[in-house]
Amino acid sequence: MSELLTHSESDLRDAAALAVDLAARRGARARASVHHEGIAKIAVRNGEVETAERSGTQGLGLTVFHDGRQGSASTARFDRAAIERVVEEAMLIVGHVQPDADADLPPAQWLAFSGPAPDLYAESPRSPDVLLDAAQAMDAIASETVASDRRLRAGEQVAVATEGVWALATSDGFCRSTQRSNDARWSVMLAQDEGGSNSAFCQSQERRIDALLPAAVLVERAANRARQALGGRTIESRRCPVLFAPHTAATLVGELAGALTGNAQYRKMSFLPDPLGRVVAASHLDLSEDPFEPLGLASGGFDSEGIAGSRRAILRHGVVQGLFLSTFSGRKLGMPSTGNADGFYNLRLTSSAASGDWQAMLRMLGSGLVVTEFQGGKTDPASGNWTQAIKGLWVEDGCVVHAVTDVTLASNLPAMLNGIRAVGLDVERLGAIRTGSILIDDMQLGGRR
Amino acid sequence: MNGGDVSIDLARARLLGPAGLDEAMIGRALGHLAGGGADIADLFFETTSLRTWRLEGGRVTHGGFMMRQGVGARAAHRGHVSFAHSADFRESALNDTVRAVRALARDGHADRHPQGIALNRHAGRHDLYPATDAVLVEDASGWIAVLERIDSLARARDRRIVRIDANVRMQDTTVLVANADGLLAGDVRPMTILSVMVVAESGGRRARGQAGLGRRAGLNGFDTASVDQMVAAAVTMALNNLDAIPAPAGEMPVVLGPGYPGVLFHEAVGHGLEGDHHRKRLSAFDGKLGQRIAAPGVTVVDDGGIAARLGSLGIDDEGTPPDRTVLVDDGVLTGLMQDRLNAGLMNARSTGNGRRQSYAHLPMPRMTNTFLANGQADPADIIASIDHGIYATEFDGGQVDIVTGRFNFTTIEAWLVEKGKLVAPVRGATLIGVGDEALRHVSMIGNDLAFDTGMATCGKQGQTLHVSVGQPTLRIDRMMVGGQAG
Repeated sequence: MSELLTHSESDLRDAAALAVDLAARRGARARASVHHEGIAKIAVRNGEVETAERSGTQGLGLTVFHDGRQGSASTARFDRAAIERVVEEAMLIVGHVQPDADADLPPAQWLAFSGPAPDLYAESPRSPDVLLDAAQAMDAIASETVASDRRLRAGEQVAVATEGVWALATSDGFCRSTQRSNDARWSVMLAQDEGGSNSAFCQSQERRIDALLPAAVLVERAANRARQALGGRTIESRRCPVLFAPHTAATLVGELAGALTGNAQYRKMSFLPDPLGRVVAASHLDLSEDPFEPLGLASGGFDSEGIAGSRRAILRHGVVQGLFLSTFSGRKLGMPSTGNADGFYNLRLTSSAASGDWQAMLRMLGSGLVVTEFQGGKTDPASGNWTQAIKGLWVEDGCVVHAVTDVTLASNLPAMLNGIRAVGLDVERLGAIRTGSILIDDMQLGGRR
Repeated sequence: MNGGDVSIDLARARLLGPAGLDEAMIGRALGHLAGGGADIADLFFETTSLRTWRLEGGRVTHGGFMMRQGVGARAAHRGHVSFAHSADFRESALNDTVRAVRALARDGHADRHPQGIALNRHAGRHDLYPATDAVLVEDASGWIAVLERIDSLARARDRRIVRIDANVRMQDTTVLVANADGLLAGDVRPMTILSVMVVAESGGRRARGQAGLGRRAGLNGFDTASVDQMVAAAVTMALNNLDAIPAPAGEMPVVLGPGYPGVLFHEAVGHGLEGDHHRKRLSAFDGKLGQRIAAPGVTVVDDGGIAARLGSLGIDDEGTPPDRTVLVDDGVLTGLMQDRLNAGLMNARSTGNGRRQSYAHLPMPRMTNTFLANGQADPADIIASIDHGIYATEFDGGQVDIVTGRFNFTTIEAWLVEKGKLVAPVRGATLIGVGDEALRHVSMIGNDLAFDTGMATCGKQGQTLHVSVGQPTLRIDRMMVGGQAG
């Protein structure tokens, strides 16, 4: 067993099966989900270990279905007494709530009793000592970087390792488990000149250590981002084209995907009502989902109901092909589950329009704003009203002129999605989402009058 | 009532008894945790139970129950913190957790307290909230009736309301803190959050309204009039937003209404005055103690000892009773908020602001109830003073960049003001500013100090906590407004 974990997959399967069994003895159908993670994290700053953490989390969640009613309860303990209490509490809830015809386990034939389960775990050294070496190496590089540029200061250099196991059992005899790993490194750098200070960070997250960005690249990117933001100033309010750098562009893709979830749809909390078969974005855009990418950050062989997802198109030529549905939200909408009870799997946005690398995208932008960071703001999911405070760069004739701060961008998401002119080849991955930079034709920028 | 006297006994009964722990075992574990000379060594035991009921589609069809418990063990050597936690704190598991911390700290020295540490109970008397259990299953029918009433009230108010979701979340957290100085302190923290979200639809447009009430109490702490007022607020917000026009964009005067808009001072001032940011010299307010940072009349306070507010604490999560810290006094920067670690390293004392999300998180300096004190102006005169600007009454959170002091928050209820009159509701807009710059532009402060309704939360380094914010109506002469209209 991994040195970060204290429970095995079979421990978790046993606990899940026991919970389902105890619920069955009370006459209920049930689903039990059990997870356990072991985490180690080391943060180093200026040659000193700032924090060293070792943690273990665990939980057992049970949902029971009885007489058309459902109740859920969870505990952080796996012993029999705790599981009995959870069953008791879930049954108590069933005794109080009103029935809902859509609240039941999915049909057994939908379950992924067998079938492809992508690798989510990679053997890699993850002890605190290994993390300490990694964080110290980043800190040493940060010190060298600082020595070469008086404007820079080093912030925290952090290494984190997580290993986890998850098991799911249901009354239909489903009982499967998976093991997962996750490695992350991040670097924080600060830059200061007579105009003020900035901090920036760069993170790499993978399921295996050897896939992480090299320490030098992380530190250099964080330093460059901090330096690049120096001298930032506001500009006058205007309408202009906007280029979202890849790590900010992923947020827009997330907004689109969020509006296509079953929960948003049936609760009328989506700015894209009744979207199947409708054009919701520029016609050169495709969005695809892949649950089975080996070691993908959002891969999985089945969701928390035991249903497998599928490789499929979500958007083709700007037209919605599919939603992200659980059994419950699917029933509310009169559709079958798509195996997305936990949200979306790995997504990739692509475009058939003219495109290019980062420099080419700057040239396509011409004169306009590059968004490098969201500083805060909100989307109203019901109306699609979108407003953000941003940091960025002002570009003229494809060349960066100066850093920008103290400005806002505002629009509504349907207009933004239809206004996408190009998606860059400078693809980055942010969690579940892969996208290049996104160029939008025309947005309202709020700045000085 | 006295939440303190009974808290320590309840904490011992709920946490130590079931795990078979006694104070001698904890003292021995602390002795080993402190090792050869930690500056800080502490154990934080927690048990939390939580119950939810959810109404959607006119019926309460969902309920949930959660229980968790665990211990966090921390040792700090001259600012280097080693931390481990475990969901199991029976004696052998507790000792394993302590050994994990020793290994992380690479403390190979012999224990300075091989016999363990003698603990002295500290009752932590307070009258801030009762040591009540908010999670009683006996209240289920009562809560379900409240949710059903919310649904019928909202439906009855306007036929354009097409969706109503209402939730109640009751939480009961009991904590016990023991440290190498011999402190043993406990607290029982009840909390109930009732919330409603409505969607209005008309002419192909949709808009959302939301409202909530948070109390350190159970069912009997929620009176009918307050619940009715909450529903009315959510419905009014949705209907206003349905008719909202695009907000203007650019720099203009802004009037912020009383209550939750006090999040301005939480973001613009509060975060920049947390001790850790100063120790690491990251704050935009670094080195400005004693200097004028705001207009005269601006007094900002963090006070963890205001009865019934969700930011209040009998003891903080390091066992320290809360202080009333004046952060800005008549425009001059006067105070920082400290936990034990940062206070120790800055030769200061803890102000009772050491807070953590749970046993699985490290404590750090966090705000409690942070507010702008009353001024003299009549709120009506403040609105009347605006020639062209925005009047904002509700926000949906906010953020600050500690290093630059730049903050922002997004309105969910706001009006365009022309010639001193409210002209029309405007769609959500992000307002941005820079901490001390915005404070210098505060030109009128009202006399109607109010606090949020109990829904305010604060996120820092991945940890979310309940806080409280407040302010009277105030005018800021220049703020950047990010609307869709040019």
